[in-house]
Amino acid sequence: MGEYLGRRTLHSAVSLIGLVVLVFFLARLTGNPADLYLPVDASIQERQNFAEIHGFNDPLIVQFGNFLAGVASFDFGESLRYSQPALQLVLHAFPTTLKLAFFSIGIALSIAIVTGALAAWRIQGVFDRIASILALAGASIPHFWIAIVGVLVFAVTLRLVPTSGTGTVAQWILPVAVLAIRPCGLIVQVVRGSMLSALSSAYVKTARAKGVRTRIIIFVHALRNAMLPVITVAGDQAVGIVNGAVIVETIFGFPGVGKLMIDAITNRDFALVQTAVLVTAVAIFLMNILIDIAYAMLDPRIRHT
Amino acid sequence: MRLVKLATLGLLAATAAVASPQAGSAQDGAKSITIALATEPNNLDGCGISARDVGVVLRQNVTETLTILDPETSEPLPRLAMSWERLNGTTWRFKLREGVKFHDGSDFNAEAVAISLKRHFNPDIACLDRTKIKNVEITTKVVDSHTIDIVTDPSYPLVPVMFNFVGMTAPSAPDKLVRAPVGTGPYAFRSWTPDEGIKLKRYAGYWGDKPEIESVTYVVRGESALRAAMVKLGEADIGVEIAPQDATDSDLDFSYFNTETTRIRIVAEQSPLNDIRVRKALNLAFDRDAMIGTVMAEGVMKATQLVLPNINGHNSGLKAWTYDPEQAKKLLAEAKADGVPVDKELRLIGRIGFFNNQSEMLQAMAQMWNAVGFNIKVEMMEKAQWLKLVNRPYPEKREPMLIQAQHDNGNGDAVFTFPSKYHTDGQQTDMSHPEVDKLLEEAGKSTGEKRANLYQQAIRIVEEEVVPNVMQYHMVAFMRVGPRLDFKPDASANGKIELALISLK
Repeated sequence: MGEYLGRRTLHSAVSLIGLVVLVFFLARLTGNPADLYLPVDASIQERQNFAEIHGFNDPLIVQFGNFLAGVASFDFGESLRYSQPALQLVLHAFPTTLKLAFFSIGIALSIAIVTGALAAWRIQGVFDRIASILALAGASIPHFWIAIVGVLVFAVTLRLVPTSGTGTVAQWILPVAVLAIRPCGLIVQVVRGSMLSALSSAYVKTARAKGVRTRIIIFVHALRNAMLPVITVAGDQAVGIVNGAVIVETIFGFPGVGKLMIDAITNRDFALVQTAVLVTAVAIFLMNILIDIAYAMLDPRIRHT
Repeated sequence: MRLVKLATLGLLAATAAVASPQAGSAQDGAKSITIALATEPNNLDGCGISARDVGVVLRQNVTETLTILDPETSEPLPRLAMSWERLNGTTWRFKLREGVKFHDGSDFNAEAVAISLKRHFNPDIACLDRTKIKNVEITTKVVDSHTIDIVTDPSYPLVPVMFNFVGMTAPSAPDKLVRAPVGTGPYAFRSWTPDEGIKLKRYAGYWGDKPEIESVTYVVRGESALRAAMVKLGEADIGVEIAPQDATDSDLDFSYFNTETTRIRIVAEQSPLNDIRVRKALNLAFDRDAMIGTVMAEGVMKATQLVLPNINGHNSGLKAWTYDPEQAKKLLAEAKADGVPVDKELRLIGRIGFFNNQSEMLQAMAQMWNAVGFNIKVEMMEKAQWLKLVNRPYPEKREPMLIQAQHDNGNGDAVFTFPSKYHTDGQQTDMSHPEVDKLLEEAGKSTGEKRANLYQQAIRIVEEEVVPNVMQYHMVAFMRVGPRLDFKPDASANGKIELALISLK
C-alpha cells in the first residue's frame, strides 16, 4: 500500500507540474490585463505603463522564471485585483468550498444509496419507477436553473430559508441541496444498476434460501459488494463539484474558491488563476488518494495487489 | 443500516457545527441598512470613484470631491471647495471648506489637496479616474492653509467640472490602490471581508449634516433575480441593477436614466461598410420602437447621439432615424448596382454581460437587417476579446463588422465623449473627418456658449454626414428599494448611492 501511494504521489506531482506550466502559458494567451483593469478610455500610454508596472511587458520566459522562483519559495505572487498574496486569498476561500462539497456529497450519498438499493429490490415496482424518473431529472437539470427556482420556491414563496449569504445553517440549505441534486441522481442510477447484478448473484440466492431477512440481504450482503462502482462515481462527482460550486457560489454569494477562480479568470488575474488551479489540483489529488484507500478497505483484492 | 444511520447523524452534527452566529440581515438594528450590489469592486480607492462599482460605495459617502454637478444643468457646485475663480488661462484658484477632517483625524486643507492630486497623477498607481483627463498636466501651488492654485498645461477650461470626479484621499494613502479607504465623507470605512461584504459606519466628525442611517453593509449577489428577492423579503434594503424582467413590483422598483447610451459601431474601412448608403440602410432598417417595452425596458429613450440632453454639447436639433425598410432596400439596391458587395457576411459583435437582454436585441436587429438584404451573424464575445476589437491600436486592415458598444458620460461635458469616439486620433474612433477634427479641437479650448455650439456642429456632421454608428438607446436601470426606506434614485444613481440622502420611513 505504501509503495502504491508513493507511486501515485510521484505521478500526481508530474501532472501538477505539467498543469502549472500549461495554465501559466494558456492564461497569457488570453489577453492583456491592462485592457481589463483600465477604463475603455485609457490611452495606449496608460495601458503600457500599467503593463510595465506589473511586469507584463517582460518576455514570457522571464515572467515564467519569476513565477517558478516564487512557487519554489511558496510565493505565488500577488493578486492583481485584490493587491493581496494570491495564496492567502485561495486558502481563505477553500474551506467554504470544501464544506459545500463535503455536505453535498455526504447527503447525496446517504440518500442515493438507500434509494438505489430499495429501487433495485423490486425492479419495475412503483418505488423503482418514481425513483428512476426523479434520478434522471436530478442528474440532468442544470445547477443554475435549480438554484434560481429553488430561491423562488423556498425563499420567496414559501419563506422557509433565506435567499443567500453564508452566516447561518439556514443559509447553507439551498446551496447544499442544489449541489447535491445532480450527484444524488447519478449515484441512485449507479447504485440501482450495481445492486441489480449483486442481487442476482449466487450468494444472495443462498442467503434467501437460508431465510435471511430482506433488510439484511440488501444492506449487508448485496450493498457492500455493489459499492465499488458507487465509490468511483461518488469520488468523481466530489472532485467535479468545483464546477457546480462556481455557479452555486456565484448565485448565493458564497465566498468559495469556485467564485474566486471564475472571477480571477474573467479579470485576467493571472497569479490568482494559477494559485487557485494549483491548490484545487492538489486537493483533487488528495481526494483521489482517499478514494483509493476506500477501495482498498472495501475490496481485499485491491489491498493485496 | 447502522452505517447509514451513523452517517446521517454525523452529517447533522457537522451541519450544526458550521453554523456560526447569525449574520446581519436588513432588519438588524433599526438604523442600519443592507445594499445588494451586482459586482464586487476591484479595490476601494478614492482615486477610482468614477468607476461604477467603486463609486457606488465611496462617492460622496466615504470619499468626497471638491465640486459636484447639478443633476439638471451639469453646472459645478461647491462641496469640499467653497468657491473658485479662473485667475488666467491656465491657473484656477480654489477656496476650500474649513473645519473638515479625514476619518483618520488629519486635516483637510490645501496641503492635503496637493498630496491627493499628486497621488492621483502618480503613474505608478493605476488610478482609474486619471484616464479621463488626457493630455493635461496638472500642478498645484498652496497659497495658504485653505487656498490652492491649480495650474494646467495646456489651458483646460473644465477644471471645476473635472473636480467632480477626483476623489480627495487622505495624505496617509499609500502608493498603491487600497481596499480600506480614508476620506472626509459622512461615512467611514469599517471592514471588507469575503464573508460579510463591505461595511461603512457613520462618521461622527463629519463637517455637514448628520445623516440618519448609522451603518451600511454592501453584499454582492451576481444574479438580478436574487437581488430583487432579497429586497422583497427584507434581507436587503436596496438592490441595484435589477433586470427589467425582475422589476415587476411597481411599489418597490424605480427606473432612472443611468447615463449609459448604446450604439452599434460600424467598422467602415472596407466594403461594403465604407459605402455611406450601406451605413444609412443599417440605420433605416432598424425598428427602434419595436424594441421599447419588449426587449428593452419601457422607459428607454431613442438616442440621436452619445450624450444625454443634460450634457454640455448635446445637439437637440438631431432627429432619430425613422424605420423605413423600403428606403433601406432601395439604398442597398443602388449600392449593389455600383458593385458594392452588400450581401457579404458581417459579424455583429456583442459583449457577454454588457447589459440586460443585449443578445436578444442583437438577434432581432440581425433579423431586421437580413430582411432587407444584409447577411449579418451575431457573435457574443467575452469582455477581453471584445476590448481587442474596440480599442486602439487596431490591426492593420480592420475587417468590416458591427460592434455593440455602450458609453456613459455623467460628467457634464461632451469632451468626455466626442473626441475619443469621433476625432481621427480618438481611442475608439471608426472615422476620420477633417472638419469634425477641427471643430472638436476648437471646442476643447473654448468655453460657454461657443464651446457647446462647436460640439453641436461637430456631432451634427458626425450623425448626419458621416454615419459611423447606429445609435440605439439612452438606457434606464432599475433599482429596487425596500419599503422601510425613504429614497428615490435619480440619474446619478448609476455610479453613486448617496447614503446621506436615505432616511427611514
